Amino acid sequence: MLSTYPGQPAVDHPVSAPIEHRFDPYVDNGGTLLSIAGDEFCVVAADTRQSEGYLINSRYVPKSVKLSDKTVISMGGCYADCLTLTKRIQQSMEWYHHAHGKTMSTAAVAQMLSIMLYQKRFFPFYSWCILGGLDEEGKGAVYTYDPVGSYERESCRCAGSASSLIQPFLDNQISFKNQETQRRNLSLEQVLRITKDSFTSATERDIYTGDYLEIFVITKNGVQVQKMDLKKD
Amino acid sequence: MAYNGGAVVAMTGKNCVAIACDKRLGVQAMTVSMEFKKTFQIAPKLFIGLPGLATDVQTLAEKFRFKANMYKLKEERELEPRTFAHLVSSTLYERRFSPWYVEPVIAGLDKENRPFIASADLIGCLDFAEDFSVSGTTSNQLFGMCESLWEPDLEPEELFETISQALMNAVDRDCLSGWGAEVIVITPDKVITRTLKSRQD
Repeated sequence: MLSTYPGQPAVDHPVSAPIEHRFDPYVDNGGTLLSIAGDEFCVVAADTRQSEGYLINSRYVPKSVKLSDKTVISMGGCYADCLTLTKRIQQSMEWYHHAHGKTMSTAAVAQMLSIMLYQKRFFPFYSWCILGGLDEEGKGAVYTYDPVGSYERESCRCAGSASSLIQPFLDNQISFKNQETQRRNLSLEQVLRITKDSFTSATERDIYTGDYLEIFVITKNGVQVQKMDLKKD
Repeated sequence: MAYNGGAVVAMTGKNCVAIACDKRLGVQAMTVSMEFKKTFQIAPKLFIGLPGLATDVQTLAEKFRFKANMYKLKEERELEPRTFAHLVSSTLYERRFSPWYVEPVIAGLDKENRPFIASADLIGCLDFAEDFSVSGTTSNQLFGMCESLWEPDLEPEELFETISQALMNAVDRDCLSGWGAEVIVITPDKVITRTLKSRQD
């Protein structure tokens, strides 16, 4: 064994080596979610696949949670962050109920969620949130967020891994973009059909989207949940 | 691939095919031209769309024109779409280790007027599709649109509407593509070229 330095004995094991320390607190669990607001209803839909890279953790992990009879939250991104954020929202909504003797309105939850996300501005929750529900007048409302809490009320929005596939389709079919036809209000049946078509199409091309589709329909009568099969490959 | 931006899509119909492209040329976020078409005619019923690095787009368009002309002179017959696809593939693979930055889409009718579409990656791996081929910076959005709008056996006019809607709504969600579009529908007896006015932002 040759010595590295003249006059010094050869060392055949490393005396010291640099150790790299790093902290990777985020993981992308994939999945797609969307929400469409109607005249007196709101549809919130998400696939139920949870993945990590090329591995499918589970075929049924819901991304949407009913918060009240008028509000449903759907989240994608890092599942651990989504769980924590959902718990925080539910906790705050309970405190609100105890303090004021009424459930939070959709607009109030929307504003609160923005603040909750911004509170973690420099160590954000990795979550794409869409809040769907009915507003004070009973009209459909969709609120969309970025991970640091910037938010906007819209008529339709898709987020998550297949958002780039579905969003242009929603622009075309829900907002009638690039069409001569006059903008008209869609019925619940039409919206559900477009929602299901969006996900069956996205499942064909996005590997992170699939297994099942869970749809929450919010009307003045409360929240109904329906499930649909998607391709499992 | 995302330096100049651009989108190309091709679709099959009933005895017809269509190929469409956007018209933007940019240098990253700055738009330089709104008249930069990315589709080129190779034979009477054969087109190629070349999205990617603009300098390579123009060089390859000339290269393919030259090769297609040489083929016609030597063979004394029209170049078939499938033959041309393999010519494109070998031209790209020749530069395996310093590639042309383009992702071509080929669309045409063969001598029996059967629709043919194909696409390739930058080193010439061919992908023959029965339904649609997409390429460029807008490929995600185009996949989503085509997968939901396309159906089999579309007539030329229906195919035109489908490909136009697919392209326009896709490029409106991509900052690097758009600023007008060109759609070419190839039928057994004529080639219809239309220029679309779309959002200018």
